[in-house]
Amino acid sequence: MKLLILLAALASVVLASSYDKKGVAVATDKLYIKECGACHFAYQPGLLPANAWQKMMSNLENHFGSDASLAKEDFDSISKYLNKNSAEKFMNYKRSARIVNSLRVGEVADSISKTPYMIEKHKKIREDLITQEEVKGIFNCTACHTTAQKGIYSEKDIMIPNFGRWED
Amino acid sequence: MKLIFALLLFLTISSASVVDEYLNTLTKEAKIENPSFSGFDLKKGEEIFTSKHIGKKGKEVSCVSCHGDDLSKTSKNFFTAKEIEPLSPTANSQRFSEVKTIEKWLRRNFNDVYNREGTAQEKGDVITYIINK
Repeated sequence: MKLLILLAALASVVLASSYDKKGVAVATDKLYIKECGACHFAYQPGLLPANAWQKMMSNLENHFGSDASLAKEDFDSISKYLNKNSAEKFMNYKRSARIVNSLRVGEVADSISKTPYMIEKHKKIREDLITQEEVKGIFNCTACHTTAQKGIYSEKDIMIPNFGRWED
Repeated sequence: MKLIFALLLFLTISSASVVDEYLNTLTKEAKIENPSFSGFDLKKGEEIFTSKHIGKKGKEVSCVSCHGDDLSKTSKNFFTAKEIEPLSPTANSQRFSEVKTIEKWLRRNFNDVYNREGTAQEKGDVITYIINK
């Protein structure tokens, strides 16, 4: 009996911490997609926790070396959207959960590419395939992840320019 | 059909007036900056658009780096490879159709290429170049 209770308790812990959805929730906010997607892929908000989005939004005048400043009303609206849909609020999605769980307690990521999970997932890729003209950097999800727009980053959907399919 | 035609005509005229009105605003500002202001200069605008400078990222870039040589064609962001719709309003009616958007991109892109915002004269010059190219 005791064993059964223990097993049940263990199972509930495992279930509570597991995800039931693939990938990451798709980006839906029109203003976010228009403004942020003007210069780069409109990353799903579930790819970073709220504290990281907040840190990024606090310095849009120098956004990875570019001026990405917004009008006040757009800044407020986009900040709210990112905060409402950030990774730690969507732990039922596999990628959001993996990203959040990879961060150390108190660690605030500077970018999606700099989260431990992303570094780990991309470390076996040859440097020249990442820096090549068609890709430019790890930040360019859609260059290789053909279903990135749908929030799906499965291995079977990877197609690296000048290389082909990726099998780990 | 006539209605669609009239609507299209109206849209063409109204988008033309957005940039014209904005140029009028810049003219007023330029006269305050410089009492002997004598209008916007397409040639100077071309120089602003095509000349290279050490930009905000520390790399030598010009407006052309991202917008390309042919403003009627799509181009690619120099740093992110993201596609950029044509900048020319004759090729892309979305361009120069909203003052808020014009101001946003002038502020950002002057900072990106010149590491400072443009003066009213410079902004007027470069717009004059873009819309007539």
